[in-house]
Amino acid sequence: MQVYALERVSTLSVYEGVFSALTKRTPIYVYTKDKEYQDVFKYSKKIILTQRLEKADIAFITQKSTLEEVLKEMKKNKKLKILKLFVSKYRLLKYSDEVLGASYWRKGRSQLLFIKSRLEKHFIKLPKTYHNFTVDEL
Amino acid sequence: MKEKYFDKFVIALILLLILFAFFLQISTQSSTEKLKEDEIEKSRQYASKIAQFIKQKTDGEVEKSLTFSPELQKELNEYLHTFLTKQYKYVFVLYRDIKGMYRFLLDGSQDDAEEYKTIFFPKSKRFDDVYEKQKMEIIDQSENVEQLWLSLVYPIVFKGKTKALLVLDLSEDYGKHLNSFNSPLMNVVWMMQVVLFSSIILLLWLAYKYYLLRQNLLFDKLTAAHTKIYLDEFFNNHHVDDFYALLIDLDEFKLVNQKFSYELGDKLLKVLVSTIIDCMPKSTEIIRTAGTEFFLLVPKKSGKLTNLTKGLFKTLQEKIYLFDNEVITQYVSISAIDIPKDTKSIRNIQRILDEKMLEIKNRGKNNFSILNTKSLDEIRYGNIDYIKEALDEERCICLYQPIYDLKTDKIVKFEALVRLVDKNDTSKYITPSYFMDKIRGTSQYIKMSKQVIQHVFSILKQNPEIEISINVDLTDLENMDMMKLITENLYKYRKVASRITFEILEDNEVTDYDKVQYIIQQLKIYGSKVALDDFGSGYTNYIYLIGLDIDVIKIDGSLIKSLQTSPQRATLVLKSIQTLAKELNVELVAEFVSDESIYQLVKELGIEYVQGYYLGEPRPINDYLSKI
Repeated sequence: MQVYALERVSTLSVYEGVFSALTKRTPIYVYTKDKEYQDVFKYSKKIILTQRLEKADIAFITQKSTLEEVLKEMKKNKKLKILKLFVSKYRLLKYSDEVLGASYWRKGRSQLLFIKSRLEKHFIKLPKTYHNFTVDEL
Repeated sequence: MKEKYFDKFVIALILLLILFAFFLQISTQSSTEKLKEDEIEKSRQYASKIAQFIKQKTDGEVEKSLTFSPELQKELNEYLHTFLTKQYKYVFVLYRDIKGMYRFLLDGSQDDAEEYKTIFFPKSKRFDDVYEKQKMEIIDQSENVEQLWLSLVYPIVFKGKTKALLVLDLSEDYGKHLNSFNSPLMNVVWMMQVVLFSSIILLLWLAYKYYLLRQNLLFDKLTAAHTKIYLDEFFNNHHVDDFYALLIDLDEFKLVNQKFSYELGDKLLKVLVSTIIDCMPKSTEIIRTAGTEFFLLVPKKSGKLTNLTKGLFKTLQEKIYLFDNEVITQYVSISAIDIPKDTKSIRNIQRILDEKMLEIKNRGKNNFSILNTKSLDEIRYGNIDYIKEALDEERCICLYQPIYDLKTDKIVKFEALVRLVDKNDTSKYITPSYFMDKIRGTSQYIKMSKQVIQHVFSILKQNPEIEISINVDLTDLENMDMMKLITENLYKYRKVASRITFEILEDNEVTDYDKVQYIIQQLKIYGSKVALDDFGSGYTNYIYLIGLDIDVIKIDGSLIKSLQTSPQRATLVLKSIQTLAKELNVELVAEFVSDESIYQLVKELGIEYVQGYYLGEPRPINDYLSKI
């Protein structure tokens, strides 16, 4: 089963929108270890995949282990403080305060959630279209 | 079934089948929709029961009760779990917090159960609507959802306040199952529609092919004029008598082919047709009835026939054809007719025009002729169906022309002359010149002869004081059926047979006098007389007087008429005939006494019997009976 329920083009469109909302930079350098998402993002004109966290604008994380690794790296390397974390599971969003938002499936529905306080830390102001998906706390 | 109705029947049948297929499709679809509606209604009833149960368990305060009692949470989650079947994918209860976010209170799922008060949707207008309006809503899940068909959002209301929302998610598989419930029938409907659609395509293709075939059949490839077949079709849809008919024939056209080439001849025909099109009214129909013959139908409203014919003849006569430095003049002959009212068949018109065309050609070609009323009568009365109808309706009668004895100046005999009574005007009698040639040698001829003979014999029987002569053609007498008819009637009316005279007319030279003599003997067996008609003309000659037993000589009308033009010579000839008749002891009748001068001349000659319009025209017998 593929990790994204929507077909590739729609999925890419969703993530391009989300990532563009999180960073003003173009192209957006995205770090992800997930092979399937790599296969989706490689077709994007806005997103460039990177293996290096230092170069990445956004780290897109799908596994708890990866999140732990990235958090560890962020602690070690102060340059990574500006790295924005975005996850594909609700529990990963809950796991760390460093995670800004998540896009996931719940009860058969596609969901998107951002934590307002965490976004503010990164001085991120989301476009109006995402306001309905922004919460103060979980 | 008639051919013209067959097409309409097929089209109606296909339309009915199309309607039936659509009806079946709509019925099947509405049946499926009804099934879905029933299922939704069932789900609504479940939702209502669940909501009632939750209210009961929580005393209406859902969020408060559950927050303070994890046991109750567990119990109710298990209760919700019991509803999870193939039909229901998810069952859960949401609560709207003070910030308007929807959070889980209960979740029937066990494997991926959501934690208590986990955010479901930060904001949802549709959920808000249910919350505010307290009315169940069905959300058709189509975008950004997985494995869901639709969701029932049911408000749990207590004391007028919405306490929570119960969400019942119907699985996509179940929706598909319902949709496919009528799929075998739908497949049949689709197949029917495919078959019908293919049939329509096939029919259209056949119609197109038929159209092409018709074009080939109805249009002459060389000149683009219509073909003969078109003529019949045209008159199936039009009244013949709304048109003028013109027959054009190219004079000596074969010379063009011979002198120049067939290719050039073809070119000439093309130009000729376009010239006709240019000079005749727009609605003129041009039909190529033969290689160099064109039949034109011009609506009467286009103008006068004489003007149209003259104009066309002049145009074609003056037309000069220029091809490859060759200058050609092509003359034409035209016969034209104003098609009379109630003309049913175009064939007779064509025949009459053909006959007229032959006349023009015999007179030297390069001319035109417009047929007059007599010709029109020829069409009407020469129609075999018209003659048949007249005979069937016994509209065949005899008129009688008196034959006078010049010495006593009294009627001694009548000549019976056959006539047909006009169908529409009973005072109008149709003379044999219109119809005799058409029926000679057919069963209609025998039928007519039978009616004439019976009519004559019945007159003789009713009037014992009169004698009647009837005309017979020698060729008729050689016909077995005809002879049988005459001899049978002679026997039947043998008492009056002596008062009948057979006037024999011969169109061909007699070669077998023994045979003719035998026929004459048969005619005279009951005392009938035999007259030689039109003596002095054609084949009716002196030789007859030698070989045949003749009682009466009827002098040919042309000889009598010549008394006025060449009195001396005519008198000599007539005197010789008179002497001959006297010597042979044969009665002599002068015919065609049309005026007083002829009457006086015949009287001076001393011819015994006279007949003609001056003395009495052919009339019904009753008109003369008082004069006997």
